[in-house]
Amino acid sequence: MYKLNDVDVFSGKVECVKNLETSQIIPFDPANTDYQEYLRFLAEGGQPLPADDDEQTTE
Amino acid sequence: MTTAAELASYASSFPSFRNRIINGDMRIAQRGTSAVTVNGSYPVDRFPTTHASDGAFSAQQVTDAPAGFTNSVKYTVTTADASIGATQILLFRQFIEGNDFADLGWGTANAKTVTLSFWVRSSVTGTFGGSIGNNANDRYYSYSYNISSTDTWEYKTITIVGDTSGTWLTDTGIGARIYFGLTAGADRVQAAGSWQTTAGFIASATGQVQLLETLNATWYITGVQLEEGTVGTPFEHRPIGTELALCQRYYQQGPLTAFPTVIGSSSTYFATNFRFATPMRSTPSSTFFAPSSGNSGKIEQWGGTEHTVSSVNFGSNNSGIPQVEGIQYVIISSAITVSVSLGASIKLNSEL
Repeated sequence: MYKLNDVDVFSGKVECVKNLETSQIIPFDPANTDYQEYLRFLAEGGQPLPADDDEQTTE
Repeated sequence: MTTAAELASYASSFPSFRNRIINGDMRIAQRGTSAVTVNGSYPVDRFPTTHASDGAFSAQQVTDAPAGFTNSVKYTVTTADASIGATQILLFRQFIEGNDFADLGWGTANAKTVTLSFWVRSSVTGTFGGSIGNNANDRYYSYSYNISSTDTWEYKTITIVGDTSGTWLTDTGIGARIYFGLTAGADRVQAAGSWQTTAGFIASATGQVQLLETLNATWYITGVQLEEGTVGTPFEHRPIGTELALCQRYYQQGPLTAFPTVIGSSSTYFATNFRFATPMRSTPSSTFFAPSSGNSGKIEQWGGTEHTVSSVNFGSNNSGIPQVEGIQYVIISSAITVSVSLGASIKLNSEL
């Protein structure tokens, strides 16, 4: 499952998505094969979880 | 006595960097040397496994190798699949970047002939195969070779006339797909020995041994070389540091330490000048690990507090060469102050 990341405060856009199974951060770069896999997930009807701002620090 | 002319002739016969395959001698295994068992995993750098069947396998870097080599990759069938379906496969592969394949002129009238050579051994004798294809999966050449003796290293060469048709990428995308078949179902093979326009991905040649049908069957490979020309020259042994750098264009891992300078209005952003060991092919996917706990997706503050990494921004160079050179800033989900140091180990993936 994927989760959209927060809007980047510098670009004003969502720049990447996180694979929740691996914690891998995937950039929106068409040349990146993990991003290509994400696009296939979307093409097959998959929906990423929305971004949120409530992740908390863990110790 | 060797003359200057003879030396020049020898040098021109075996030019440096003639091998388009990276890590062909299977020495580099940045992800570790434990056995891998799932589709898409890498027993060594640049060579992942493609697997889809009802059987199971393990693949691992080992030290069993022919003279002149120190390593090979060994596949073992751990669960047999007695009936291979039409689309089922077990493959060892490398995709060559278009930038490193462009000079061969494939897809044009000037396409150059190449020779694929490698050392292989198996517990099963018979006809094995593989293929070379383009990024679009619509042009494939299948090849076959015979393993005549069980558990014996054999040297194979296959000469392939360059493809004058199709579209072959010359940029940071897939220039060529190189497959070695261990198992390939009926929909994934074609007759060996000629270029064909295909409706999809072709992995090997008709008549391929189905290694997955035999429990505990083994298959080893090393010394993989793809070079311009009609003959297979001796394997090009490159310095280990050079080979590692070639691998790191596609995958690298290492430690990140930062004494963050808070930027912008949020203390959840911090800048870093983390520079890659080697510029990477594309913007990489990144996974952070807290050093103490090993927790993924985390960066660790001095004292043990872990912060979830939310986003990473990478920087490219300005020379016009398409590559990505380092991390500019990282966004975490919880506030930090300028007085703390942060650390993580990072895995960066930009494989084809």
